[in-house]
Amino acid sequence: MTTTPDLSAPEAVLADISEMLREVLGEYGLDDAVIEMDTKFHEDLELESIDLVALSGQLEQHYDGRVNFAEFIADLELDEIIELTVGRLVDYVVSCLTSVGGR
Amino acid sequence: MAMIDANGIRLHVQRMPAKNTAAERPPTVVFIHGLGTDSLASFYFTLAAPVSAAGMEVLAFDLRGHGRSGRPESGYRIDDFVGDLHAMLDAMDVEGPVHLVGNSFGGTVAFSYAVAHPERVASIVMIESEPATTAWSAKLGGLLGRAAEQLRYEEAFAWITENQGAHTSRLAKAASNALCNTSMATDIPASRVHTAEEIESVTCPVLAIFGSESDLAVQAQVMETRLERCRSVIVGGHEHSVLVEAPKTVRDLLLPWVAEHEGGRVLEGTPA
Repeated sequence: MTTTPDLSAPEAVLADISEMLREVLGEYGLDDAVIEMDTKFHEDLELESIDLVALSGQLEQHYDGRVNFAEFIADLELDEIIELTVGRLVDYVVSCLTSVGGR
Repeated sequence: MAMIDANGIRLHVQRMPAKNTAAERPPTVVFIHGLGTDSLASFYFTLAAPVSAAGMEVLAFDLRGHGRSGRPESGYRIDDFVGDLHAMLDAMDVEGPVHLVGNSFGGTVAFSYAVAHPERVASIVMIESEPATTAWSAKLGGLLGRAAEQLRYEEAFAWITENQGAHTSRLAKAASNALCNTSMATDIPASRVHTAEEIESVTCPVLAIFGSESDLAVQAQVMETRLERCRSVIVGGHEHSVLVEAPKTVRDLLLPWVAEHEGGRVLEGTPA
């Protein structure tokens, strides 16, 4: 008997997001950046907001439209956006994938 | 991410569908960002998702020389930006009049678009923005000239890094690429400005939003006086960055505005 890996587990989502971020960061030659749950988008990765638009497109594509990053950010306050960590995005993605209607 | 070829340039466009609506032809809202370090991201992460969720088609694009759009060496007069917008709407198969929402310079482009193509514009929302006049041109010339001059020196980057953090420095570098390596800083102030008749020819509804602490706030009165159908709103406690600092306030002004100027079409078929 084989077990199917849980693709909505936080560890799996973190791995997916890290992969997407490395692709975005690759444009700056920073694809070896260490990405962990407490990594901050702004302070640690120095991502520009236009890079986050690219990440948003990747999230939408990877999770078949179940993750709406723009909607998530629009609900946050400015100081929360500045302090946003990878972990908080992971939690949001997990909640999208496990909500009613998720697969 | 969608890259399109329009008006002889590569433009980065983001589209979000009208959600939660059964309307056959939902309204289209087009977001136009400001100059320098700005990009479509400032709308994408503030107003785009709520507007899409409210049953409106959303289009946001990077102006030439900004974000992920092409960066030609020259061709940065307002007419070029207006041409890009026109070609982008055609390329995206947008039919019927649209609601243009511009932040800062984006609002200036929106207004000039309405002068050139009044039949394509249902309404304009100008955030911290004013029409292209002789006074506007002189002010922009000073601002852009100083910014380009300052950024031209490598030392400036060191100073910015030291005082404002590396992030701002990278943003400043990105902006300086366009400001220093293109004719943007001289082209924009050299744009053809509007005559009084052209300004007064804009008869579509205009919503002008300003921060109370911005030096542009005095424009509220001027625009209401000069334009046939202009309403102005001053948002207390904010300067020029009212869009990113108070997105929910701007959203709460924008959604009913579009509904009002769609003759109630937005609400048709929208679940309660």
